[in-house]
Amino acid sequence: MIQFNNLSFGYSPKKLLYKNLTLEIQSGSIYGLLGKNGAGKSTLLKNMVGTLFPVEGSVIVNGMVPKTRKPSFLQTIYYIAEDVYVPALTIKQYKNLFAPFYPLFDSDNFYRYLTELEISVDGKLNKLSFGQQKKFVIAFALACNTRVLLMDEPTNGLDIPSKSQFRKLIASVMNEDRIIFISTHQIRDLENMIDNVIIVDDGKLLLHASVADIADKVCFKTVSEIPPGVKVLYSEKMLRGTAVVMENTDGDDSGLNLEQLFNGVTENPAMAKQIFSTN
Amino acid sequence: MNDTFSLSRFGLLLKKTILERAMQIIGAFAAVLAFTFLLYTLILYALDWGPAQNLAFIWGFIGGGVVLSSVVFSYFTTNAGGASYLTLPASALEKWLCGVLISGPLFCLVFLSFFRLMDYSFVTAYHNGLDRSSPLYRSLYDHVYLYVFEDNNVVVKATVLYTNFVGAMMVGSLYFNRVALVKVALVVCGMLAAIYFLNLGIVSLLFSNVDIAFPYFTVLIKVDSEVGNIELPHYAYDITNNFLQYVLPGVLWITAYVRLREKEI
Repeated sequence: MIQFNNLSFGYSPKKLLYKNLTLEIQSGSIYGLLGKNGAGKSTLLKNMVGTLFPVEGSVIVNGMVPKTRKPSFLQTIYYIAEDVYVPALTIKQYKNLFAPFYPLFDSDNFYRYLTELEISVDGKLNKLSFGQQKKFVIAFALACNTRVLLMDEPTNGLDIPSKSQFRKLIASVMNEDRIIFISTHQIRDLENMIDNVIIVDDGKLLLHASVADIADKVCFKTVSEIPPGVKVLYSEKMLRGTAVVMENTDGDDSGLNLEQLFNGVTENPAMAKQIFSTN
Repeated sequence: MNDTFSLSRFGLLLKKTILERAMQIIGAFAAVLAFTFLLYTLILYALDWGPAQNLAFIWGFIGGGVVLSSVVFSYFTTNAGGASYLTLPASALEKWLCGVLISGPLFCLVFLSFFRLMDYSFVTAYHNGLDRSSPLYRSLYDHVYLYVFEDNNVVVKATVLYTNFVGAMMVGSLYFNRVALVKVALVVCGMLAAIYFLNLGIVSLLFSNVDIAFPYFTVLIKVDSEVGNIELPHYAYDITNNFLQYVLPGVLWITAYVRLREKEI
């Protein structure tokens, strides 16, 4: 479990990005962290892994404080940054040098993930394309079997088949003890993969809800006319009518459209809060 | 699990640190040694044995140490590189020790061995090339001997500068994420200039004919055509000496550890 207790963070002490953020992230879930560019997604991840320190409040990850960066903590968490770092090593050399730091590293699975992501090179990793490097780092991170896996824009630079393969892999490695936290602004890449959604904007937590809860509270429809008297979180003119995200008063079961939900929540945070706070 | 220091984990980290950037570290070593060799030969050709041995030692040892210490913590040029380094499951003490070991004992061992070998080769070649039947043979032979590391004031002073500059570079490379070598060089030069002019100002209040007023080593005054060195009283010299030899480098090297623990990226 990851707990944010009244977390305040800012790159300058005078201008805080997050102020008194309180949030609890449960094990056994895949979280999608959504936000615009500069909304504070990466900052949140860095506070979880301990490369940034809270100004006030605390972050506790499975009972440990990330800020101390103790080896016993770092063995249980893997962070994939948005840009990729791979040294001038072959896959085998990289595995031999880095894997011993992770006691649960599974070599067989590592090679399986590489095969599934179609990475097979004999040369140096730094000669690969950005997308290939990213897939390599994802395969390594998954093979480390850490309890927490944080990914910052993991699908950036991945081609369409790789994105699909990525989703399958993430689903296959999920278990009850694990937390997978994916930050992205490419919302469609996460559809059908995550079971919890967190939306942040300008350092504020706008939404934290499970996919089931979202389906329960709002519905996604295309209508010819917006029905009167209904709380409409978001509307967008389409070719065949108007796409709306509105309060689910009739218990409709519609598919989740993360992009529309995101637009609705960021454009209309007060209404979103109202809808999601009702039982 | 020991979260402060584990010998096996440290071994893994040292191996990873050297092999991960083998070309960078070996390249830095090679460049330093090549520079030292070049300097030795050029000064020998242009001047004489004494300046060649002293200047090659001073510049190779101090410059090389600084260059290498700028490499050992140079992970922070990219966000991903810095994050990968900071989140690697090893303690801050182990990561710091790794950097210290490479830019300290390992560099000294390699540099001093190379310098001794190079100096030995040059001096031996010179001695063997002398005409034994020449009446000047003895004096020419005695003109040069192997560079002495023990009881050599130049080596002592160079070691003091090495420990201070390497410490400053390690701290600087953890403060400045990009082009740390240049930025640290600018900061150190700025500080030295400030200290020089401050000292010059103070000395000028006491003496009217100050020539050079660099603190500690060189405060020279002109008396007619002669130049005299003003020395500190013995007790003050000892305090300053201990400060520069042990306290300042100790503070700098420990600051690098503290900075590494608190490094954010």
